[in-house]
Amino acid sequence: MLAAAVVCAATAAAPLVPAGVADARRAWQNWTLNCQGCHRIDGSGDAQTAPSLAGVVAQFLLVPGGREYLGRVPGVATSPLSDADLAEVMNWMLWRFDAAHLPSGFEPYTAHEMHALRAAPLRLEANQRRTELLDTLQRSSTP
Amino acid sequence: MAHIDRLTEKVVRGLASRTSRRSLFGLLGGLLAGAAGLPLLPVAKGAEPVNPSDPISGKTPPLPTGNPQDPGDQRSCDYWRYCAVDGSLCTCYGGTVNSCPPGAEMSPITWIGTCRNPADKRNYIISYNDCCGSVPWGRCNCQNNNGDRPVVRPQSSNEVTWCFGTESQSYTCTVAIILGVAIDQSKK
Repeated sequence: MLAAAVVCAATAAAPLVPAGVADARRAWQNWTLNCQGCHRIDGSGDAQTAPSLAGVVAQFLLVPGGREYLGRVPGVATSPLSDADLAEVMNWMLWRFDAAHLPSGFEPYTAHEMHALRAAPLRLEANQRRTELLDTLQRSSTP
Repeated sequence: MAHIDRLTEKVVRGLASRTSRRSLFGLLGGLLAGAAGLPLLPVAKGAEPVNPSDPISGKTPPLPTGNPQDPGDQRSCDYWRYCAVDGSLCTCYGGTVNSCPPGAEMSPITWIGTCRNPADKRNYIISYNDCCGSVPWGRCNCQNNNGDRPVVRPQSSNEVTWCFGTESQSYTCTVAIILGVAIDQSKK
């Protein structure tokens, strides 16, 4: 009885995988093989190697241009994944590492959108763009 | 020659007149007591590899897993988990297939690939973490390149030394940690 209650509680507490992730196991594997090596297993990253995702990444969806920025950063745009797999990893990654900041009306990335975004990759300017977007976010959240 | 004899006699006689036989015993006793204490002094064993190479053949003794589900010699480049190692094996430095040797720090930034386990014919996701520290690399060299890409794609190249996020940027060796079983994506 107690075990059943624990299972029910765990089921109720587990967040749902967002739309745009057809196969969470495949998304995890694509993340592990293509992203985790630099962003680390918990998405913590660091300023010297790969930027932190944990608790941060979905906030870019809250500022104009942030959604496009995520699809154009070097690690995403130059990934060997197909457009469809890349869109799935993006949607999975946003949920896995920053579900708390996912906007309620979040529209998942699609293969078509990723195809267009990765055609214009950011290079050395990616860091500066990140700083600008985070500054905008900071200003908009300051009362 | 006679001059040397006279000089030696003078020194020995002078020594004999200044010292007693008891002082000799005292000196010898002190040396014996000191020698007994030498093994108790601290020794930096951590700096020495536990399994050093044979200095004559330059080879290391094998390290079989003893597990039929994880078969092979973990000091051999042919061990299945090493299918994409480009560097030295940590098992030849006193580390293990999963842990760095003493004196080296594991890099949190890794190269990740897949290798097929010959026991169950399944592919496993393997994280190749470089161990970085003051111990120079070069022992148990291994050059396997499954899934390796040219360095123009640095995130997919195992030629790159992945000593990032560690105190030392000097490469020592590489471990091969299983992260999970890979799904076959060719079926999708």
